[in-house]
Amino acid sequence: MSMKGMSKSFVGIKVLKDVDFDVRQGEVHALLGENGAGKSTLIKMLAGLYKPDTGTIVVDGEEQKFASTSDATSAGIATVYQELLLFPELTVAENVFLGNYPRKAGGWIDWATVRARTRDLLDQLDSHDLDVDTKVLNLSVAQRQRVEIAKALSKNARILIMDEPTASLVESDVQRLMEVVTQLRDRGVGIVYVSHRMPEIFALADRVTVLRDGTHVGTRDIGDVDEQQLVSMMVGRSIESLFPKADAEIGETVLEVRNLNHGRHVRDISFSLRRGEILGIAGLVGSGRTELALTLFGMTPATSGEIVLEGEPVHIASPRQARDLGIAYVPEDRGLQGLVKPMAIRKNVSMAIIEKLSSGIFIRADAEAKITRDAIERFGIRSRNIDQAVGELSGGNQQKVVIAKWLATNPKVLILDEPTRGVDVGAKAEIHSIMGELVKQGVAIIMISSELPEVLGMSDRVLVMNSGEVTDVIDRSKASPERVGAAMTAHRLEETA
Amino acid sequence: MNYRALLRHETFLAVLLAIVLVVLAWQSDRFFTVANLLNQGRLMTEIGLIAIAMTFVIATGGIDLSVGSILGLVAILLGVFWQNVGLPLPLAIVAAIAAGTLAGLFNGLIITRFKVPPLIATLATLALYRGLAEGISQARSVRGYPEWFYVLGQGEVLGIPTQLWILLIGALIASIILAYTRWGRTVYAIGSNEVASRFSGLQVEKTKIALYMASGFAASVAAVIFVSRVSTTRSDMGTGIELDAITAVVLGGTSIFGGRGTVLGTFIGLCLIQALKNGLSLAGVKGDGTIMLIGAVLILAILISNVFERSGSR
Repeated sequence: MSMKGMSKSFVGIKVLKDVDFDVRQGEVHALLGENGAGKSTLIKMLAGLYKPDTGTIVVDGEEQKFASTSDATSAGIATVYQELLLFPELTVAENVFLGNYPRKAGGWIDWATVRARTRDLLDQLDSHDLDVDTKVLNLSVAQRQRVEIAKALSKNARILIMDEPTASLVESDVQRLMEVVTQLRDRGVGIVYVSHRMPEIFALADRVTVLRDGTHVGTRDIGDVDEQQLVSMMVGRSIESLFPKADAEIGETVLEVRNLNHGRHVRDISFSLRRGEILGIAGLVGSGRTELALTLFGMTPATSGEIVLEGEPVHIASPRQARDLGIAYVPEDRGLQGLVKPMAIRKNVSMAIIEKLSSGIFIRADAEAKITRDAIERFGIRSRNIDQAVGELSGGNQQKVVIAKWLATNPKVLILDEPTRGVDVGAKAEIHSIMGELVKQGVAIIMISSELPEVLGMSDRVLVMNSGEVTDVIDRSKASPERVGAAMTAHRLEETA
Repeated sequence: MNYRALLRHETFLAVLLAIVLVVLAWQSDRFFTVANLLNQGRLMTEIGLIAIAMTFVIATGGIDLSVGSILGLVAILLGVFWQNVGLPLPLAIVAAIAAGTLAGLFNGLIITRFKVPPLIATLATLALYRGLAEGISQARSVRGYPEWFYVLGQGEVLGIPTQLWILLIGALIASIILAYTRWGRTVYAIGSNEVASRFSGLQVEKTKIALYMASGFAASVAAVIFVSRVSTTRSDMGTGIELDAITAVVLGGTSIFGGRGTVLGTFIGLCLIQALKNGLSLAGVKGDGTIMLIGAVLILAILISNVFERSGSR
């Protein structure tokens, strides 16, 4: 399969300029680029969702014009999207053959065949544990993904497009997915693999293509490049270090948590945090990291235990109270919890300090505009103006708006929950340097992250959680992937010690 | 994008209103007279007051169906407090309005404390409050209020019906609150994304409770004006008025899903509906025909506004 000279414009803006791309049988071709580089547009044209303005798609030597996704499917191209498109109320087997059911005489669906073939497809993916009669809503993300892949295979796909397949998977599932991808490749399927994660790309890909600002920067064999080169191809500049840990002076203790409890996910947690310190919290999904943050932030107030802030015992019953005490929380789910997307940047930035920006009940529009302009400049938020809706910004810029909103409260303790999830490499580096700048000013940061290199690179100390309990607290100098990884699945500290 | 889209909707509505006025004036020479227009202003005040409060409620993504029943209940209580309990009329008015506001508080508490969706909570209290009103009134009506009381619903101040002043001042204050204060900002934020509002330290629950109280208060004031206008108290007063108010709000461009809407839009929507009702009846159109036409205008206005918005934001 190859694509030549692909271009596409939306409302006069060229998002893809004359891009060539090809996939051979039995290879994994990684597609890399920052958000907005044109990866999605390219794969959507390949999947028949968008029509190219110019350019040709050739599959097996035949030129194709895809008017719809079903045209692409019949040409042997299938896509597994980042947001999985399954019907939760239907069973695995029903989902796999949806719209494509084998029929018996008289037009009745041949359920026996549906189930048998689904079983067979899943077995090919080494998913013997997946029951074909389970409803999809009962499956984990990783399992759903395998159902999607089975669905693609049911249509005899020879080219499989995978859009950030590991973005929402935990480490063990990532391993398993990579095995599946390798298997498919060995069977001769050509795979287009879109991902931000470098280790996967180096483990899986045969070739890699980098896009930037809608143009084709280069295609390389994986043996010919290293991570630094790929990153600089993506961002157009070289990033000295991926995690520039700024040295800040670590001061007195700001926050002391003793035997904190809330429900099943926050159990008997104790730790302390000092001015200028970055405390990384590592743990698997469901280990209680976010729940701990929500308890500190007053969203789910502690049922027992003590929180001592600057020497004073405090009781935090609501986010509002947490804010007034100087605790800020940049939540995990930006779209749902962090931002009011249809509202202007100005209104989002001012949201947590709206009382301070008001005289009586009236909002001082000039003061609001000023702090917003300052924030846009300080954090490099790329936007048209302060009245632009936040939902129109890219992921990285949205995240910077959330951070700006909370920094406007002048917090003493800043909790960042997955601060760089879903943001591109450039914005990620910017967010890290903002963190560095903040600790220099004496802010204490708690950073929750699923990305181990980020935790290890940014933290002064790493606190590891499992099943709602602290399993290890490790100093920067002693923190290694092995030790943190071991603690993620270990039982609580006292028992292991 | 919000501002431009809203401006567009309101401009469009204002143009529509102008066209309707011209057409109706041409249909009947009794329509476009000062006396008739002022009288229409008198008639739309009760719906108007309720619709203004409803604009806030709907802008948070909520709804208050119980306002008609609150109106009925407050009207009855006014009569009972004055005639049966023997309170002086001014005190009876205050007590009745306080009771109606309390009914709104009750709505707010059910919605925020027990997480009952507003549609269901206020549907339940719609029945509850109406039942209370009927039970208290025992199908009796109260008449014979003192002369000064009728100034409110039948009199004039500076040549303009008394209650129209109340509506205009209420609308002005409400539109300033919604557009320029942090309360208004909170309303829009809750309507656009309640979770993020809570995560931003906004007082989501308190604001909601305050709004349902305000809605109850507006319905109560409307009740007093209603009683004064028709000189009598009956338990079926205000039946169905919630739908008229919601129609005005939605016609005025407030999103039923919350996050969007202005008092000015509601006000124009209100005028449009009242003009259609009155003008059409003067032009000899029967009542059911008028209702159908208002339904058609509502759908048309929303459709056109959606088309505008899509071309505006994409």
